[in-house]
Amino acid sequence: MTIILETRSLSYSYGDETAALKDVSISLQEGKKVALVGPNGAGKSTLMLMFNGILRPSSGEVLFHGRTLRYDSASLREVRRKVGMVFQNSDDQLFAPTVYQDVAFGPVNLGFPEDKVKKYAGYALQYVGLSGYERRPPHHLSGGEKKRVSIAGILAMEPEVLILDEPTSNLDPASSEEIMDMLDELNCGGKTMIISTHDVDLAYRWADEVILMEDGGVLHRGTGQEVFGDAELIKRARLKLPIVVDLYKELVGRGLLNGSKPPRNVLEFTDLLVSGNRGTTSQEVLLGKIYICNVDGPDLEGIKGILEKVHASYTGAMGTNAKIMAEQARIPLDFTYGVIDKCILKALTGKNSLIMTSGGMVDHSVKRIRVYCEESGANIEVIKLAQPAESSMNSDMQKVLSQKESTTLIEVAQ
Amino acid sequence: MHDLLDDYAHSNALRDTSPRLKLLLGLGAILLCVSSATPIAPLFIAFTMSLITVRLAKIPGRFYSTLLLIPFSFSLLSAVVVAFMHGGGDQLFAFNIFGISLGIREEGANLALLLIARTFGGMCSLFFIALTTPMIEIFSVLKFLGLPVFLVELSMLMYRYIFVFVDQAAMIHNAQVMRLGDAGVKNSLNSFAMLCSVLFLRSWEQGERLIVAMDARCYDGKLDLMEQAERAKPRAILAVAVYLVAATAIAVLTRGVLLL
Repeated sequence: MTIILETRSLSYSYGDETAALKDVSISLQEGKKVALVGPNGAGKSTLMLMFNGILRPSSGEVLFHGRTLRYDSASLREVRRKVGMVFQNSDDQLFAPTVYQDVAFGPVNLGFPEDKVKKYAGYALQYVGLSGYERRPPHHLSGGEKKRVSIAGILAMEPEVLILDEPTSNLDPASSEEIMDMLDELNCGGKTMIISTHDVDLAYRWADEVILMEDGGVLHRGTGQEVFGDAELIKRARLKLPIVVDLYKELVGRGLLNGSKPPRNVLEFTDLLVSGNRGTTSQEVLLGKIYICNVDGPDLEGIKGILEKVHASYTGAMGTNAKIMAEQARIPLDFTYGVIDKCILKALTGKNSLIMTSGGMVDHSVKRIRVYCEESGANIEVIKLAQPAESSMNSDMQKVLSQKESTTLIEVAQ
Repeated sequence: MHDLLDDYAHSNALRDTSPRLKLLLGLGAILLCVSSATPIAPLFIAFTMSLITVRLAKIPGRFYSTLLLIPFSFSLLSAVVVAFMHGGGDQLFAFNIFGISLGIREEGANLALLLIARTFGGMCSLFFIALTTPMIEIFSVLKFLGLPVFLVELSMLMYRYIFVFVDQAAMIHNAQVMRLGDAGVKNSLNSFAMLCSVLFLRSWEQGERLIVAMDARCYDGKLDLMEQAERAKPRAILAVAVYLVAATAIAVLTRGVLLL
């Protein structure tokens, strides 16, 4: 694993009295999901502003790709392009009078020619699912939409690292989950993600690495299980335990559960409970299947055709493209976030489910389910639905479809 | 939702017609109103502009008429004063108050009528622009007309933050009212002063955050070319030309006509 961002004995003080950061040395690996957690005033935002050179450390240094960050304007431009930051308050970030102008701001200032600016801005808006919003003014957008535009504005500069300060604050639960799902999708595309949050449940299930901060220093860092396993430390940092961990500890304390470390999410928790009870219930449940449909290839009618053939009790969509597609095809969605886990849970109860997704997320899902199967010993059948080579389609349609090469009708993955 | 003119500008039925054409129509009509010698052309413009705004742009008539009450009340007040102050011509009407004779003469009455007509025609044209053309597109026309880029960009930023501050002002006001900050004149004045000072400080802070936000995205002195606005359709151009010519013709032909 290569280290993408690193800080060495970083210190910073606002004014001359209060030290906001004290001797922070951390290294972040490329392609990881990192969560900075800590109470108000712990220095999370300050640290984030150091990563792309908005604040200059009083002492110590920041390294990006192993090179010390310099503060001349050329170096700053370079690092700010590669390390994009989304502010907590969208109104701070969206300063242009229209959505398009705001998203195009970065590319324009990077000196891209006009058609390239258009292409990048268009691509970024499409990615966040807001194509067609170009001429809207920001004050006509909802909170979730504003956040999406903010993210699009950063994506248009093609960053390697995305930093989001409290990405889910002030958003309703559904919007938050959609934003987090989008961050997963971006991470799946290889981008390193850093978020700061007070939401311990979110940090616990989402992050690969949790950095616990308190009073300008790093208290602890590691996986969610390591950091949140230490109740004393969490209390000291004025946080609380994630519900899953809390419940696990209570149950273990009563001897109802035994496990070496707390489960990460509802799926793992369920497994832990079920495996504990397996001795008493001997009969095996017939496992359900999970269908994965790639929405990139076929058009709307094609998708409908494929889905009619599948008998799934539950349908979920992952990623913006798939969600837009589902909405257009009027497919009711049962799951819009945490889709893979929810489908595995349904499969374990014997129900079939369908995941609509696109691009690299298809293989990601297959891999995720296989890893789960290997770990748990359950044998869930994964069926990749590709594009059907139907004879009933007219020739025009076939011409369009044949551009995307895909010949297999159904590829059985398990 | 719809409580600002700007909201209508973004959602009216003429939203997608060429902003240059809409500006040409509106500004042309205003110029005609103020240069017309008699009230007939301005009244014609007021009537037709209202029709265009309500019928073509589909602005709710109720909202539009309450909007028109503002200039109407102003112009009525000043027209009354003008009518009494200007002499000349035959006495039309007079009365005695505490031994002072107040009267309206022909010239004064005509001038007052002209004043009302001009204000009305002009305001109807201005409302037409305000209700059908979003500010952003007016900016793009200004840029096209050769206004210095930095002025246009500065106005765009100001425009964007008007809405942020309107929200903040409303929130501060609510917070004050909740704790009876509007009880009595003295309290109201005090609250208002506080609101102003807090808003000033907040805008200052917002300015600093704006610089950070722009720097974080590699600000290099460029705020973007505008998206290309809709081109005008030949039929629309023709219609505007015919309208302006007709209005000019009315203004010229009726220049000698007096209503009273």
